Amino acid sequence: MEQRAVMAEPIINERVIKACQQGDREAFRLLFEAYKDKVFSIAVYSCGGDETCAGDVTQQVFLKLMTNISQFRGESQFTTWLYRMVANACIDEQRKRKRFLPFADSPPATRIEFKRPQEQRYAKIELADSVRHAIAELKPKFRLAILLRYIEDLSYEEMASILNCSKGTVASRLNRGHKELARRLAHLRDQVVLGD
Amino acid sequence: MFLNHVREQLSAYCHDELDAKAARRVAEHLIACRSCRAEFEEIKAGVKLAEHLPLVKAPDSLWSELENRLEQQVSKQEQPIKARESFRYRSFFRVPAAIAAALVLILGVAAFWIYRQESRRSWEVARLIGAPMIGNSRIGQTGQLGVGQWLETDADSRARISVASIGQVEIDPNTRVRLLETRPTEHRLELARGRMSAHIWAPPRLFFVDTPSAVAADLGCAYTLEVDDQGASLLRVTSGWVALQLHDRESVVPAGAACATRPGIGPGTPYFEDASQTFRAALTKLDFENGMAEATDNALLKDLLAEARVRDTLTLWHLLYRVSGNDRALVYDRLAALTPPPPGVTREGVLQLDEKMLRLWKGHLDNIWTGASPLKKGWINMWTRTLEKIKQ
Repeated sequence: MEQRAVMAEPIINERVIKACQQGDREAFRLLFEAYKDKVFSIAVYSCGGDETCAGDVTQQVFLKLMTNISQFRGESQFTTWLYRMVANACIDEQRKRKRFLPFADSPPATRIEFKRPQEQRYAKIELADSVRHAIAELKPKFRLAILLRYIEDLSYEEMASILNCSKGTVASRLNRGHKELARRLAHLRDQVVLGD
Repeated sequence: MFLNHVREQLSAYCHDELDAKAARRVAEHLIACRSCRAEFEEIKAGVKLAEHLPLVKAPDSLWSELENRLEQQVSKQEQPIKARESFRYRSFFRVPAAIAAALVLILGVAAFWIYRQESRRSWEVARLIGAPMIGNSRIGQTGQLGVGQWLETDADSRARISVASIGQVEIDPNTRVRLLETRPTEHRLELARGRMSAHIWAPPRLFFVDTPSAVAADLGCAYTLEVDDQGASLLRVTSGWVALQLHDRESVVPAGAACATRPGIGPGTPYFEDASQTFRAALTKLDFENGMAEATDNALLKDLLAEARVRDTLTLWHLLYRVSGNDRALVYDRLAALTPPPPGVTREGVLQLDEKMLRLWKGHLDNIWTGASPLKKGWINMWTRTLEKIKQ
């Protein structure tokens, strides 16, 4: 988790952002490469594992970023600004899905491959698969809080700013999310708590 | 204290998002409040599960698709403003220099970030005597033990480790320990050989010690743990409780009791150190010399049961899980003769290892093992005293 943060942290520098604001395509590519996996990860969990949908959400986020980056004045952290777009895009997508497609009825052909037979013998992979499934099934507001924390490694303050709520609300959503995960994955608790 | 439960703060506590004062208040409350502690166990399990959430790699085709959409968007915008185009192409030729500069910056910031993270994730080590080593370096009066680093003492040296803000560990001579993890939800040492004494004042199952033959999980306690050159270990608990575990085999050890472990077997059965020599010798053979496999006419087991006192129900209760068939019936009968089971616990249920019944019986036996009449009174008192000392 912390290594992931190392990948993203350095990109928040004025020169790259300024180059993007001036329309520098390569600087934008740099930005895209730094954040694409994190943005895509949040999107894929928010889309119930549907990679096509996640790809579309990710593109929308980066298009919006490119279009609006000239408005970024550095008054907040760049990541806060970016993830606010991601959160909004995911919430919008969630609304669409709720309206048009029941969550469990996503087309199986386009769903992400949660199962990898060649790796299933490894307990850690199985654990990660179980966690993915459980997180994909959380209520959207709890899931988003969990994703921002564990994929993006954001502080409660940053999350509160992105989600436009108080730190107390962030803490409460994470509490509910954690308890729900523990409940759904009760059979794996010993494995992670002791970790022997 | 109980009017101000801390449930809403437990995720923040696990994520180290509380200031020091609030974190201490939560820790103190957790020690005394059973319902919040149960909630904490839930949240902590959720945190640990969420930490296994993997990143999903974006498809390689995403950039080219995005670029196409960008081209379309840009061409729409650029038609009326041709003048900007030349600037954009000039930007393109400045790219190599911009990338190089960005990379240098990235590496610099990443190195600084890693340095900060690593320096934060360490414990302070104080030299008590001699010349303890961290890695290949001798420490002065104090040093920092980072995650992944070994602390080693020779025959003439000792050291004391401050375990984050939750306790202290003294390292005896000829000991080798490594810091495996330190974060609000888990502090973990590896004891490869030698002896250490731990005093921990934290909610249960935050501090762990890995040995070659079991994991010791602190349940709020003080204890010594030693590992010999073959990887066998001996745990002796001086206050509170410690759990020793390997896979699905667990021994819960209260103050005054001890428990041995062996590589490939895991924890043996806990016993009070004032048990008779015959009792202890029989138990060692049962635990580690294939004694449990004897299904009929188990002389070792009969010797042990004959020597058992009321306090030794600690051992007998654990043995219920480890023997089977007629042996389990023998253990039950002796256990029931020493301390009759409470209402709701039946012979048949216990012989079938009914978990609810066994837990219920253990709840009653706890009072005998700890010498406390209200459940875990001594344990809570111990906490209170320890916390008062810390506050002073």
